[in-house]
Amino acid sequence: MTSTPSRHETTPIGSMVPLTGPSSADGREFSNGFTLAMEEINARGGILGREIEAHFVDTGTQSAEEVVRAARTLIEDHKVHAIINGYNIGPQNSEYEPIADAGIIYIHHNTLLQHHDTVMSNPGRYFSCFMGDPAEYWYGQGFIKLISWLRDSGQWRPRNNRIAIISGAKPYSIVIANAMASCAKQFGWTPAYGPKIAGAPITNWQPILDEVRAVDPAVLANTHFYSGDLARFHLQFIEDPIPCLLYLQYGALHRTFLDVVGDKARGAIVGTVIGLLRDDLGKSFARRYRQRFGEQSTPEVGCQPYTSLHHYAIAAAIAGGTAGPGNIEQNQAISDQLKAVPYRSVSGTICYHPEWQSAVPYPDAVNDPSLGLPHLFYQILNAGDEQALIAPYPYNESDFELPPWLAHLET
Amino acid sequence: MATDSRSEASPRATAPAPDRAAEHVSEVLQGFDSIGHGLAVWSRNDLLIYRTKACAQFFEDVGVKPSDDLSLTDFLNMLAATGFLLLPQDTEVWTEEELRLFRTGGASNYTCTNGRIYCNERWPLPNGGVSMLIRDITEVKRHQTSLEKARDEADRADKTKSRFLRAANHDLRQPLATLKILIYNCMVSDDEEHKGDLLHAMDISVSIMEDLLGALLNVGQLDAGQVKPRITTFQLSTLLERMDIEFSHQAREKGLNFRVVQSRYAVVTDRALLERIVSNLVANAVRYTERGSILVGVRRTRDKVRLEVRDSGVGIAPEHCEAIFDEFYQVAHSRNHRGALGLGLSISKRIADILEHPLDVKSRPGEGTIFSIVLPVGDILQSDIGEPEINEKIGGEFVGLSILVLEDDEILRDALTELLERWGIKVEAFGAFDDLAGRLRETAFRPDLIITDYRLQGGLKGDETVRDIRAKLKLDAPAIVVTADTDPKLIEGIRGDGFPVLIKPVSPPRLRVMMHNILYEPELVRELKS
Repeated sequence: MTSTPSRHETTPIGSMVPLTGPSSADGREFSNGFTLAMEEINARGGILGREIEAHFVDTGTQSAEEVVRAARTLIEDHKVHAIINGYNIGPQNSEYEPIADAGIIYIHHNTLLQHHDTVMSNPGRYFSCFMGDPAEYWYGQGFIKLISWLRDSGQWRPRNNRIAIISGAKPYSIVIANAMASCAKQFGWTPAYGPKIAGAPITNWQPILDEVRAVDPAVLANTHFYSGDLARFHLQFIEDPIPCLLYLQYGALHRTFLDVVGDKARGAIVGTVIGLLRDDLGKSFARRYRQRFGEQSTPEVGCQPYTSLHHYAIAAAIAGGTAGPGNIEQNQAISDQLKAVPYRSVSGTICYHPEWQSAVPYPDAVNDPSLGLPHLFYQILNAGDEQALIAPYPYNESDFELPPWLAHLET
Repeated sequence: MATDSRSEASPRATAPAPDRAAEHVSEVLQGFDSIGHGLAVWSRNDLLIYRTKACAQFFEDVGVKPSDDLSLTDFLNMLAATGFLLLPQDTEVWTEEELRLFRTGGASNYTCTNGRIYCNERWPLPNGGVSMLIRDITEVKRHQTSLEKARDEADRADKTKSRFLRAANHDLRQPLATLKILIYNCMVSDDEEHKGDLLHAMDISVSIMEDLLGALLNVGQLDAGQVKPRITTFQLSTLLERMDIEFSHQAREKGLNFRVVQSRYAVVTDRALLERIVSNLVANAVRYTERGSILVGVRRTRDKVRLEVRDSGVGIAPEHCEAIFDEFYQVAHSRNHRGALGLGLSISKRIADILEHPLDVKSRPGEGTIFSIVLPVGDILQSDIGEPEINEKIGGEFVGLSILVLEDDEILRDALTELLERWGIKVEAFGAFDDLAGRLRETAFRPDLIITDYRLQGGLKGDETVRDIRAKLKLDAPAIVVTADTDPKLIEGIRGDGFPVLIKPVSPPRLRVMMHNILYEPELVRELKS
């Protein structure tokens, strides 16, 4: 028999967010997204009658020590039933250990291939650890698929099949670059340069660009993701463009990049494996988000914990309620429901792979848009506009256009 | 005047004793009325003179209104004109044929628009005229049709079973033959790595057999018209890779130059059924090519691709080119080939027809053969990659690196080796350290990083051993020292000598971070700066 919770019974849920340090801008959005989802769920009566009570802990520079300490604080001091947050770059899954010991649900958006390795190495221990977005690996595979599609559908005629790959020094960039190189051949491309790992920060990209120019590639991809470095890279590229398609990693979608590069960014391709869709659901969320947190807030970032908190609430309700540290049986039931029930979020469908326990990407891993989180590709138009969403169907809104430095050659 | 059995008996059915005879006739006619079938008599001048109740009902059912002077011709014209009968040919021909049957006797069936079927049997009378028996045979016909259908289905099932057994026999021989070669090679090989490769190839052959059995079952069901192909968009490269693995061993055994040219295209078809077609084509090429080469490749033509299997084999004379797709057809010179039952090409053709992919052959005797199948090009972005294999061995940040592990504890050494290999790293691990540099020199192994225990067997120190190896082999690979010692002085000392330290038990995330920093961001590693 279940009893109706008293008015003051709440469900404590934690979030590990970089509220200070270099990623504090994203951290603020992560706490905003969490807050908006919490307010919406609580307005509907909470999870089976229990309102959510938020506990944010700052992860600062996101080092392993800081993130592990944050997880311990949430578990030991606040007895949270789940930890749900955006990304923390530094801990390399070391925070999984205290969370696995407590057996509470953990959903993050670290976009890391090593999540697969950790979870699959001991599924029983890490049953409660989920990654709400696909691994960074898919950036590489998905990009190769995209350029193959542009080629095969006649939207772009590459001069040759050579691809040059530059990588940043962070694991994220290296994995993406390796993934591009490893699946290039399967799609008819030849890695002709790299993956070349460039140290950061880089101010002078010219020596690397000269090396790239020497192999005359049809495609150049830079998987380094710091916006400032990418902006310098692009400006130096555009001074004397190599006649190739240009791909820049996620950071090129940030305001910083566009402010520095301006309209010269037109034509570059950028992707994200978790973004905000421009359909009715996405637009409505963006409106509510900006009303709540201001016109300068960024729903494109805040949507990550927003989505995962909603998904958790649904799974917990179906499983019969949330559970705190030590209640393995109930958290296992919630974990089972997270995997069993796909959730159509403002970013697309979160459908957890039963073994990876991470969101399956569309069309990289599944070809059914209702069963995967869309890997969105944009082409930058100019500094001011919304960028052109060119793939995948059915979310795309614009056609690919030849970048100005290639269009010039065609004419 | 026609006599209805419902009226008084006709005076023409008279006998010498009028009252008795009339009564007798009446009884006979009542007897006729009790028959469930319609009986009628037409006079020698073709007028209807008698009909039973059942016959009158038939007239009513088919829309014929009999008058007293209804002639046979009028009856037939009326019957044809009601539109109630489904006439087998044009009305005039049908009427003439019916009239003929009235003259000569004989039976014909009438199928009506309401689904009823009647049989009309006629017998000419000795002095002219004709009697007619109308029977409703609807139920009989229905049973007969059901029985015929059941018989046809039984025949088809029998044929399907036979076809399945023949096809299974034919198709499973190919991977079985490959498996036999691989098992033999594995038995005689002393090289563990080579054995591993052979076992991997065996595993693929077995999975091909499994797939074939599944596809054969599908073909059996296709014979019965029960299965629709499962059309998806997928990359041809995956199929071509499987063809390479399946046939390269066999082709090499025959001394043939076997080459599969990879393709970048995605196609729209049934993956398993296409694989059966191509597998049959390549198997044929290997079978009928004694010397020279076999080339499997793809050409793009607008929105299609043409998958070709070219061989330099015996070739086929033009007169056989069409017939080779018939079941059990074999060109005379090919009959000695073991395992060739002449089924492969017919199966391929049947499947190609189902998939609506044109299958073609070009050949000349002595000049080899080109089989080709034309496939629609698919949207590569939406292509199905099956259950994706995604792990750090494929795309991890350490893929392809080499690491030397020095650890005398076997359990720790094995665990660390397993972890590093899972991350896609090539590992050389040592538990004994005599002449380590000499043993390493004999191999081509050049580590990107060394991970060493601090206290090694024989009183050796990990950091000293690393220095020794570096000096003797002229290596500059960085090294991590792992220790269970927690004495701060000792640890600071090791670090001061330029070795980052990890304390046992080693946590994979910490090892990962340290490896990453040393290899890709050394400026973050304090020890390397000293």
